[in-house]
Amino acid sequence: MSRHVSSEDLMRYLDGEMAPEERGLVDAELAASTELQRELAIFRSLKSDFQELSFHPARYRESVWDHVNDRVTRPVGWILVAIGAGAWSSYGAYIFATSSTDPWEKLATGAIAIGILMLLASVIWDRYREWQNDPYRDVQR
Amino acid sequence: MQPDLERELIRKCKAGDTRFYEPLVRAYEPAGLRLAVAMMGNDEDAQDALQEAFIKTFDTLHRFDLRRPFGPWFFQILRNQCRDMLRSRKAKFKVEALDEKLEQRPADAERGPERAHQRSAARELLWQALERIGTEHREILVLKELEGFRYHEIAQILEIPEGTVASRLYHARHALRDALVEMNVEYPK
Repeated sequence: MSRHVSSEDLMRYLDGEMAPEERGLVDAELAASTELQRELAIFRSLKSDFQELSFHPARYRESVWDHVNDRVTRPVGWILVAIGAGAWSSYGAYIFATSSTDPWEKLATGAIAIGILMLLASVIWDRYREWQNDPYRDVQR
Repeated sequence: MQPDLERELIRKCKAGDTRFYEPLVRAYEPAGLRLAVAMMGNDEDAQDALQEAFIKTFDTLHRFDLRRPFGPWFFQILRNQCRDMLRSRKAKFKVEALDEKLEQRPADAERGPERAHQRSAARELLWQALERIGTEHREILVLKELEGFRYHEIAQILEIPEGTVASRLYHARHALRDALVEMNVEYPK
């Protein structure tokens, strides 16, 4: 490498990132140094061959948009389902609680509903903890 | 894509309308896939990385500054996604059958079958050399040579000072040349 042209300068010269006056200085150095010319020739050759690698994946058939769209719109769907289910459940519970049904019947039905909810929550919690401690969770099957 | 149109689409996406995300995805998909394939080494992992990057981009659009260009920002997310996948056990840079992947250039065919064969062999060697150099070298070479980004854009994508780009490129090109020398390929040819 020339004493006056650093490796960074050579890259900027090669990649056209230099101001014209700076290029002039490097041109002068190049004219005086065969070592620098050789170095530049190597990088030019690499650059040109690398640019020919502009491959396109041959087996690429469909756009990723459908999958992206599914994923970005899915949360909206879940939120709507959750809001709807919550609203209907609350309304149902209110109707049931304010109806003229026998208090014992209300108590028994309420106990069953609460019990089911507690069991469901405990199963979900167990699965979540299991998943968190699973050493193979990142392994693609 | 026109910057004004791009900004308008992003503004609408920020408001939560996913329909306006499709033109952005389709516009950046080809270049994104090229970068992802070059970083991951195979189509399957590249598509996974690209898909995740587009989803993460949408999820973080609210943080995007509309005065800045979208491209480097998206490529930054994609690059990080590729690196995360390569770091995890989910993916490893691996070279696939090259015959399917490398584009047959019309210029090669015009210069005769022998020339076309030589060029194809050279590209295959270069692709194998890419596998030997680290991710850090590979990503900067891809951004510069395949995507043609300017130094200031590369600096933004890689989250490094602009002054470091030239030095990183020098080391990456040197590493590539060393890899080729190890494979008994002489430069310049």
